[in-house]
Amino acid sequence: MTEKKRFFKDELESSIETTKSFNTSFENSKSFLFNPTQDNIDIADPNDNNDDDGDVGNDINNPEASINIESESDDDIEIIEESQISPKGTFTNGIIDVVPDIDDKMISQLYNKYKDTQDPLSSALSYYFENCQSTDGNSQKITYIPSSPIKISPLKRKHTTIASFISEPHHTTPTIPSQKKVKKSIMWERFIGALQVTAMATRPAMKPLKYGSKFKLVKQQSDIPTSKLYDTKGRQKKMMSSYVKIFDIQLNREIGKVPEDIARIIYPLLDTDEVIFDATLVFCDDRRLSIGDSFILELDCYLTSILFQDEIELLSSQSSQNLNNYNNNKPLHQSFKSNTPDKVEDMESKSRRVALITLFKKLRVRPLQKHEEELIKTQQSENVVQEEEDVIDVDDDEGFGEIMSETYENPEIDSPKYDTEESMNLNQLQTFYNSAQSYETLKNLPETNPPSELVKMTLRPYQKQGLTWMLRREHEYDKAAQCEDFEVDGDMMNPLWNQFKWPKNRSWNVNKLKEKSIDTSINNELFFYANLHTGDFSIEKPILKTMIKGGILSDEMGLGKTISALSLVLMAPSDSSQAEKKLFKTDTEDEINTESPNLTSRKPYASKTTLIIVPMSLLNQWNSEFNAINNCSKYKSEIYYGGNVSSLKTLLTKTKKPPTVILTTYGIVQNEWSKLFREGGNSNEAVMSSSGLFSLEFYRIIIDEGHTIRNRSTITSKSVMDLSSKCKWILTGTPIINRLDDLFSMVKFLKLEPWCNVSYWKTFVSNPFENKEFKQAFDVVNSIMRPVLLRRTKQMKNADGEPLVELPPKEVVIKKLKLNKTQEAIYKYFLDIAENSVRTGLARGDLLKKYSTILVHILRLRQICCDVELLGTLDDNDEDISRNSQVFASNSEIKRLIDNGRNASDEELNDTEKESIISILQEKYPTIDSLKKQECSICTTEDIEVDKMLLPVCGHTFCESCLTEYIDYQKDKDKDAEIKCPLCRSTIARNKLFTPLYDKTNDTLSIVHYKDVVKPAKLAALVDNLQQLEDSSSGEQVIVFSQFSSYLDILEKGLREAFPSDKAKIYKFDGRLSLKERSTVLKEFQEKDLSKQKILLLSLKAGGVGLNLTCASYAYMMDPWWSPSMEDQAIDRIHRIGQTNNVKVLRFIIEGSIEEKMLRIQERKRTIGEAMEADQEERRKRRIEEIKTLFE
Amino acid sequence: MASLPKRIIKETERLVSDPVPGITAEPHDDNLRYFEVTIEGPAGSPYENGIFQLELYLPDDYPMEAPKVRFLTKIYHPNIDRLGRICLDVLKTNWSPALQIRTVLLSIQALLASPNPNDPLANDVAEDWIKNEEGAKNKAREWTQLYATKK
Repeated sequence: MTEKKRFFKDELESSIETTKSFNTSFENSKSFLFNPTQDNIDIADPNDNNDDDGDVGNDINNPEASINIESESDDDIEIIEESQISPKGTFTNGIIDVVPDIDDKMISQLYNKYKDTQDPLSSALSYYFENCQSTDGNSQKITYIPSSPIKISPLKRKHTTIASFISEPHHTTPTIPSQKKVKKSIMWERFIGALQVTAMATRPAMKPLKYGSKFKLVKQQSDIPTSKLYDTKGRQKKMMSSYVKIFDIQLNREIGKVPEDIARIIYPLLDTDEVIFDATLVFCDDRRLSIGDSFILELDCYLTSILFQDEIELLSSQSSQNLNNYNNNKPLHQSFKSNTPDKVEDMESKSRRVALITLFKKLRVRPLQKHEEELIKTQQSENVVQEEEDVIDVDDDEGFGEIMSETYENPEIDSPKYDTEESMNLNQLQTFYNSAQSYETLKNLPETNPPSELVKMTLRPYQKQGLTWMLRREHEYDKAAQCEDFEVDGDMMNPLWNQFKWPKNRSWNVNKLKEKSIDTSINNELFFYANLHTGDFSIEKPILKTMIKGGILSDEMGLGKTISALSLVLMAPSDSSQAEKKLFKTDTEDEINTESPNLTSRKPYASKTTLIIVPMSLLNQWNSEFNAINNCSKYKSEIYYGGNVSSLKTLLTKTKKPPTVILTTYGIVQNEWSKLFREGGNSNEAVMSSSGLFSLEFYRIIIDEGHTIRNRSTITSKSVMDLSSKCKWILTGTPIINRLDDLFSMVKFLKLEPWCNVSYWKTFVSNPFENKEFKQAFDVVNSIMRPVLLRRTKQMKNADGEPLVELPPKEVVIKKLKLNKTQEAIYKYFLDIAENSVRTGLARGDLLKKYSTILVHILRLRQICCDVELLGTLDDNDEDISRNSQVFASNSEIKRLIDNGRNASDEELNDTEKESIISILQEKYPTIDSLKKQECSICTTEDIEVDKMLLPVCGHTFCESCLTEYIDYQKDKDKDAEIKCPLCRSTIARNKLFTPLYDKTNDTLSIVHYKDVVKPAKLAALVDNLQQLEDSSSGEQVIVFSQFSSYLDILEKGLREAFPSDKAKIYKFDGRLSLKERSTVLKEFQEKDLSKQKILLLSLKAGGVGLNLTCASYAYMMDPWWSPSMEDQAIDRIHRIGQTNNVKVLRFIIEGSIEEKMLRIQERKRTIGEAMEADQEERRKRRIEEIKTLFE
Repeated sequence: MASLPKRIIKETERLVSDPVPGITAEPHDDNLRYFEVTIEGPAGSPYENGIFQLELYLPDDYPMEAPKVRFLTKIYHPNIDRLGRICLDVLKTNWSPALQIRTVLLSIQALLASPNPNDPLANDVAEDWIKNEEGAKNKAREWTQLYATKK
């Protein structure tokens, strides 16, 4: 060791050149590091190969060297690289040939020192043998900071290494605390806790050990390659305790060894100087020790500045824009890419991490909860002398349980396994993150009232709070409402980090060495922070930098996300930082850049424009809402759709007053993206030459119904991701539709570091979730989402305990109907076919192969429930099922059934009888005037319309609906009862009904037999209900939902027949309408007309989301949908803010049919949640289950 | 409250605007299907000068079903039992949707004018009526005096 010391000294004194050359190499490494990514990969790969060679081959046969090489990472990579190609490589090989166990650091040094001499190799060797040959492997140890693959900047590491190199060791062992000035790099150390360790003597002691005598802990063989300690799966192969020995400092001889559990902690940490262990004898029974005797040590543990150093650097560097480059160059999340720690480097860092965690656990250093921090701070400020409680609750390991479970599987330690709550479903998740954050946020947020000269309407209190939050997220603090206890956004701690309080120094030494601290400043710090996932430490609070301004506004449907977003746009219409730079305009580069800086930086910056992407059906609604809320003539909106703007680039950057808002649809974005990135090879050039959405960088992008991008493999999602802007907002009422991973797309869109990296997300969210560690996954999700997501629900209460929104009650009633006879016959026919198909499928076990066929069967049955006519229609809007024609019966078969159904009810009236009745009736009503002013005695309607009039044999007049209802009612009550005319009590019969037929052009009236066409059950029920509604309150607006757009056509026809055009107006809104037609339809529908009932036939798919139809308070759902949330969404079109009346929803369900079973599946979906369907096998099973349910 | 068919509204309006002599029917404020009814005893009958309280309720299936009517005032009548229930064909089997509240109440008034002891509901009263019609009528007058006259 003394030689070694001298070597350092000599080195320092003799050669300034060395330092210089180091600096040069440092410069080099810097430039190397900041090269583009590709180069790095090229270099990294041979390095990996080299590792493998190192073990078997002969070019590095020194195990210690190999450890160092692998752990030292980048700058050493360079060295290795050179060892194969450069003069340095030859030099290195030469040295290694002679001195196999030489440290490669030393090789570098020697090389640098002698590279300019004539024969560098021999000079170096002679120098080496003269000066620094050492027998003690341990003494050659060079300060080695274990790489934490994520965070530590290679830059810094180099610094540290140099520092330790040129420092002057005063003492032999750096691990003895009393000599902590050993290396300058250890600026300070601080007590973290003490352990009582029962050690075992391995050597007999001559005399009893003195109480209080100092020991040191030494690695027995520091040169054991990691590969020997751990097997390929990262499991430990050998007992650590055999490698950690206790040395007596005075006698410098081995005394004993520590127990295995302690050794496991100490071994990986011993060499690092990050943690210092200070052993003192407290008990040895006051007698001589024989081998195997136990004695008790107090092991004081200190954390040193080295542990914290890198982190401080990291934090400061993170804020700079270098981060991007840094990310690009270094495979940042390398270690997360694979869970198998096949690389030694991984293994080392992992063992170190585990050791740290275990140490913390043993020392009972627990992460602080939020309130604890406050408590401690107050105590501190009040100068309360707080006494640490000396008794630590031994069982209180909970805090650690959490951390432990968050690390990867750690086979080395018995981590407390979480009792995985088996059934954490989406609903629970929803409540989970609701309760976790928004509630508090909500109460404490001040309200920002947008100035009336900007925003016309008054916002609701919670919308004002939302606005405050949104403005803060965009760092527009001066515009947001202020409040006292507001801490600037950045105060959010990085979720992966935990806060710890420095414990009181209770070490052995504290009494003896009163003034042992070197750097007192550190002792003033109350807390430190540690990321136990990566093993990184910091004194400063690791502030979470959210790189992008923006977030997710995830208020529940109907809470007015649109208004909130538009208020934000109006409050902060343009980039305020840009306004000052205005003179230099266009190509100014952004400070915060997106992931492809070279691409975006050249895009012109539309600093005054917000791009809003919405589903097509909402385009006009957004536009009109903007105009409704905007009170400032300066601001205007522009719809970018259908090629109405030739060059967006020119419009936004070259004109004097660019529109504040550009509205466009997902379709347009996707379209432009496909054109740019799919076709042309050189996309970059294409982008530059284009003038559309992708040619610009916007100030802000808002995507409405943001769950549209949830599947990141879709083109829509990809294209939206490629848009660039400074602020990004997602509006969605349902952030999670199916899977937890839905959130990832949003995180990715927001470019939320580091979660937008897919491997990061997988490691911390997806994988734990799939492994059923729900608690952990949700914890992480929660902490990711907390800063960027604001969600309020209708049920939430404000600070005064009042609900956010008081919506009028909503009543959803399921109305069970019976199929009419025709439908029933056909339904039965198709049900038989379907059941057969399922049965054979189940028997043969290939049910799922025939899945699509079965879906067609199911579809047929559902269609029959609606209307038999649907069977014949081919409608691409309906469902994406390939229509295998052989599955169905031929058309003639259906026809036969339909005809059968029609005639089954009553025996046909013979013609002569018919003729005679008709002639009697014609006598009674010869002209149209004779039928005027006729009253229906059932509904008391006067002046029944002629074409709706029914005449029984007796010739009394009734409404069609009244009389048929009467007959059906009587039949229902008593099947065999004789039905009598309500007026004259003469017998009437269903098949003896007649109706007048008036021919306007010829002014002739004829009486014809009333063809007993029974309306399909649902249409009849709908007509009845609408009629009743019209009777009780006229001029209502109602919405009729169906998922089959061809059914909407049938309904339209049926309703037009049932209601005269002056009584009811029927509108239809489905995917086939053009944008313009859509807005006309909605506009007309929304106008109140007391004289007419307005009926809107709405396709569930085209109009299910986003539309605001609060003018209506009645809705009819004609057919059930597979997913209940889809229906909820649809109902929320009318049950939302602005609705003043009670909402009534009637769902028509055919009794005993497939629809009833669908309801059951819906119910189950609600409770189980799709989240549980994560794995493929499970999903298959569930599908089969579902099919079975349908046909049981 | 469930929506009210147009017919009920129409009937109610007509009952108010064009009342039947000797009969009043007013819908209840809380439930428009519930009517408070009074019928004057027909002149010449033992119920003359009496004012009888009735209640009338329109079931959900009205007008497919007959309204439900009951005397609230005690009455001595062979077709009306102690609970006030009325035995009247149009309220039971002979109901037709062409009938209305007005017609039903008229029928009840007619029933007071001509009791039908051969199709009794209150058997003891009917027996009394057949055996000693005068005595029964006197008793009916007595009851009317006792229960159905305003004091």
